[in-house]
Amino acid sequence: MKNKPSSTIHYPLSTIHYLQWQRVAEYAIVVAIVLESIVFAVIAPQFFSVPNLINVALSIAITGILAVGMTGVILTGGIDLSIGSVAALAGVVAALIAGGGGMGGNGVLLGGIAALGVGLVVGLFNGVMIARFRVPPFVVTLAMLTICRGLAFIVTGGRSIGNLPPSFGFLGRERVLGVPVPVVIMLVVFAVGWFVLKRMTFGRYVYAVGGNREASFLAGVNTKRVTLLVYVLNGLLVGLAGVVLASRLGAGVPNAGLQYELDVIAAVVVGGTSLSGGRGSVIGTLWGAIFIGVLNNGMNLAGIDPYMQRIALGVVILLAVLADQLNKSPGELKT
Amino acid sequence: MKTNMSLLLLTVFVTASLVLTGCQSGGNSSSGGKRIGVTLLTREHEFYRQLEAGLRDAANKQGYDLIVTSGDFDLAKQQSQIENFVVQGVDAIVVCPADSKGIAPAIERANEANIPVFTADISAQGGQVVSHIASDNLAGGRLAADYIARALNGQGTVGIIGQPEVQSGLDRETGFKEEMTKHPGIRIVSVLNGGGVRDRALKAADDMLQGNPELKAIFGINDDSALGALSAAEARNRSDMIIVGYDATPEAVEAIERGGALKADVAQQPRDIGAKTIEAIATHFGGGQVPKIITVPVKIVDSG
Repeated sequence: MKNKPSSTIHYPLSTIHYLQWQRVAEYAIVVAIVLESIVFAVIAPQFFSVPNLINVALSIAITGILAVGMTGVILTGGIDLSIGSVAALAGVVAALIAGGGGMGGNGVLLGGIAALGVGLVVGLFNGVMIARFRVPPFVVTLAMLTICRGLAFIVTGGRSIGNLPPSFGFLGRERVLGVPVPVVIMLVVFAVGWFVLKRMTFGRYVYAVGGNREASFLAGVNTKRVTLLVYVLNGLLVGLAGVVLASRLGAGVPNAGLQYELDVIAAVVVGGTSLSGGRGSVIGTLWGAIFIGVLNNGMNLAGIDPYMQRIALGVVILLAVLADQLNKSPGELKT
Repeated sequence: MKTNMSLLLLTVFVTASLVLTGCQSGGNSSSGGKRIGVTLLTREHEFYRQLEAGLRDAANKQGYDLIVTSGDFDLAKQQSQIENFVVQGVDAIVVCPADSKGIAPAIERANEANIPVFTADISAQGGQVVSHIASDNLAGGRLAADYIARALNGQGTVGIIGQPEVQSGLDRETGFKEEMTKHPGIRIVSVLNGGGVRDRALKAADDMLQGNPELKAIFGINDDSALGALSAAEARNRSDMIIVGYDATPEAVEAIERGGALKADVAQQPRDIGAKTIEAIATHFGGGQVPKIITVPVKIVDSG
């Protein structure tokens, strides 16, 4: 081949291996889901039934909605630890408005809008702090984690807000053609998230900012605005998840959503999105959420000891991060 | 723009510190009476608010000064609170430990300073504790099992939404299981961890009902567990189920009165726990003998 022009591009051997490996990693999670499903189907006969699969989908609905926003945040190289607290705050605000003052259906609608508003405001605050003032995302959102939890307790006086109009249960408890509404919402959120990140310029900028902030800045990307917008959109999704959660519980519960940030980050990471930013996908996150949902459900059906369940989940997360490490380009791996 | 921002920040800080110092009022009033340092597990549960109210009422009667803090489920925080009490030289310390074993070194430090230590609600393992004042959680679990057994006429399958990380949760579960051995017609088919919080309990109950469609009853080791199970049962139109909770919080009592699947609750008497703790302290100050363990009775609450 020396000195002859060639029509095909010749990658070094290691790069070819890398590309193949990346494809393998994408399918690995799907294979893992199939494998664990087979194992659980053998151990627990109830596992492979339509009602149980719907049950699994329902159990990951709220984590899933949150995980789409978190994927965007992590793709920029950021993190949001505040989501569980903000979802609880949004939920209690929705319940307070829906339950107060005999507005009936209007109150419920207003409550839902207010919950989105709560998410938006917190998201905007996080975004401004991170993009404009360059406070590390970990610190800003850690602060908001405790502030919003405190606010949720203050506005409710520490008690759950129940006795809500029946229509408050629509987002959480109703079904459309046999599919629970939270699952429908989750699927729509995933579809929109996929479209935004893969098909819109803004989405490509999110990847660019996370991959190399300086380079994208020099290339003319408004990195601050992209970062800000990611946190705002994430906040909106957190508000949405909060109102769906409250609707499912039939009450605004101030201590709801404890440690959701960890469940959600786990789903994103298991789904192959790199915590260092720039690499990953919403589809991967969906697989990650399904994988963890099936694991939790299957272990419950199989009657596995609750202490063991925690260990199993931890091992899975470790394996996922290990896969992510191996997934890095050969050059990166050497260092 | 820059100066505006710094001005804004300054204003925020000043306001925040003013508000925060305002909140601390009434901490250090000095009366001639005894001073008692209290570190609660949390202030975010109705149960502990009631317990605190019981402590305060009884302490007022005795003329004691209470310094109440909350460990917020954080062992390290609680240890430093106890160390602070030792430094302040309080006359007695009341602890609701975040961790029964882990709290021992802090209690030992109080022992060295000759400050009597009392535990309320959750016991400590290690260190010298004058007296432990708590509900009888084993008896509570037995009460719940007895109620369910009678409601099912001794036949059927039941599940438990537990919280095995917490001693009181384990005790309730143990009491429940023990009592159920007297009813051979009843089988406990599923025991899942609801973490003591509603959303996790709901998920666990969903799986439980999925795996055991014929399930007749669920025992939730606290009210968030039971209310989570109630949501799961309602979503499946299982108003025929018998759910029994624990703690009788206002929300659970409301649900029982509404007549749904939540049929009964084991009620602790946290105010009594608080009051008896202060009584024990008073007896100890007066030189009297205080029993090592003081149990406060529980009772069953239903719509009847």
